[in-house]
Amino acid sequence: MFPFAAMLALAAGLIGCATARRSEPIVGKVVAGDPSLAAGRQLFMQQCHACHPGGEAGLGPALNNKPLPPCLIEFQVRHGLGAMPALKTDRLSEADLDEVVKYLVALRRG
Amino acid sequence: MFYRPNVQLTAMALASVIFLTGCYSVRPSSGAGQATASPRRIHAADIALPPGFRIEAIATGLTFPTGVTFDGSGTPVIVESGYSYGEVFVEPRLIAVSGGTPRVIARGTGGPWTGVSFYENNFYVAAGDVQTGGKILRIAPDGTIATLVDRLPSRGDHHTNGPVIGPDGWLYFSQGTATNSGVVGEDNFRFGWMKRFPEFHDIPGQDITLAGVNFTTDDPRGGEKVTTGAFLPFGTASRAGQVIEGSTRCAGSVLRVRLTGGEPELIAWGLRNPFGLAFAENGRLFVTENGYDDRGSRPLWGTPDFLWEIEPGAWYGFPDFVGGEAVTADKFRPPGKPQPQFVLAQHPQEPPKPRAIFPVHSSADGFDFSRNEAFGHKGQAFVALFGDETPATGKTLAPVGCSVVRVDLATGVVEDFVTNRGKVAGPASRIGGGGIERPVAARFSPDGRALYIVDFGVMLHHGQGAKPQQGTGVLWRVTREGPP
Repeated sequence: MFPFAAMLALAAGLIGCATARRSEPIVGKVVAGDPSLAAGRQLFMQQCHACHPGGEAGLGPALNNKPLPPCLIEFQVRHGLGAMPALKTDRLSEADLDEVVKYLVALRRG
Repeated sequence: MFYRPNVQLTAMALASVIFLTGCYSVRPSSGAGQATASPRRIHAADIALPPGFRIEAIATGLTFPTGVTFDGSGTPVIVESGYSYGEVFVEPRLIAVSGGTPRVIARGTGGPWTGVSFYENNFYVAAGDVQTGGKILRIAPDGTIATLVDRLPSRGDHHTNGPVIGPDGWLYFSQGTATNSGVVGEDNFRFGWMKRFPEFHDIPGQDITLAGVNFTTDDPRGGEKVTTGAFLPFGTASRAGQVIEGSTRCAGSVLRVRLTGGEPELIAWGLRNPFGLAFAENGRLFVTENGYDDRGSRPLWGTPDFLWEIEPGAWYGFPDFVGGEAVTADKFRPPGKPQPQFVLAQHPQEPPKPRAIFPVHSSADGFDFSRNEAFGHKGQAFVALFGDETPATGKTLAPVGCSVVRVDLATGVVEDFVTNRGKVAGPASRIGGGGIERPVAARFSPDGRALYIVDFGVMLHHGQGAKPQQGTGVLWRVTREGPP
């Protein structure tokens, strides 16, 4: 159990310190503006931006400062949790989810 | 494919996600207005813009400014609303801002004045007039005021908005709904207007048939519980199959009228609060819409704001659709509250799809299109996001909006353009510093080289409702000073 608890503690520490702000006025040219991320960015705008504006907190919590690996991001998107609704494949195909996750990971590093 | 499910991973995922995101339901709201009042500071360096742009304050000390236009000489002219949520009534004014010295062109009545346009030596103002009904006013340069349209249904939550002059030479304006989602409730009593006009309610743009869905609530005026249906006065129940007569002067609509006045024509309806209107360079009309709130007898949750391209004759979904999606979708059910049901027995059409989606509760308001490559982003929409008004409208985990964003119409991508610096987003009164508060309109100068931003000023929100702060409004100007 200890490694898992340590991981959570580390994550909490990271979240407490990190800002989620990644938009162009704050960081200059956004990494997520890379053309290879364009599809994921458009899907993010349709499915995620409303509650997590630019990956920052809004109606829901911030995404950009969460050290979640891609598999856990996919898990939460597919299954939902708490107030967050699940996005099934009729709303977001497997290929589209991969694009969104790729975009989210790039945005987090931006 | 990243996802490879197994039991251990699932358990870890659940634990991690719960830990990392917290539980929405038990966390208090932390919105833009949940701050304490203090004197407003103006410090442009506290505002972040993309590289190559600068911002400066052109006028300060304004009271509830809501719109800006430019007279024949290019001088910026603003309207001060004369009314704000929180039931604060002051004098609506039209003010020229030249060389930092304000000059009052006209004083009027009937706030809120929500926007202004200048065309062929006259100013045109949308006057919400929560007391006697909405109007479109023409104001001559000497301050003489004439009424072009009156008797608009503007006594409720949302008002008469706009106006803009179309490429056809007609004046286009919009009318917001009386309620959050079609049903008059206790929230409207708290807003204030139901005390003045207990019989007021939403009016459809054409005859509609109700499903007979009713809502039983306390009567804030005292007495027994009451039952209320959609498109009916508070305390009046609906029945299945009941027909509500439509009107041109309807709620949630876009209308037009000749510059000489006369009867308005209905262009589109079924919007909730269409606040901002602007014509793109190709002559197409676009409108911003403020989405539903988690309040009142028929609350909805997670409903964004939208940018719409207006199709003449179309119905946009109010009160049964959200950006083209049915309110019966599980994702629109507020935590711990009932699933919204359709209140209309039939829908006029399948609603269109929006061109862009803005954050929930961001209050997407006045906007304009960039027309000059010298400024950049030609063809993109620059939209003022007033920011959330929680907890009156629902709950957010952080301030939302309080920025100006740009929208790429080709992709629907929304990107911050003007926002305050800091570890978190929000108005200066909430996060500190001397930056922006509540952008309510954005408009380019006639030459397209400068973007003017109307900042309504400090708007606080506590349990008792809105607390707007007079004399805190600002007119900002953004110009390009170098390459990006």
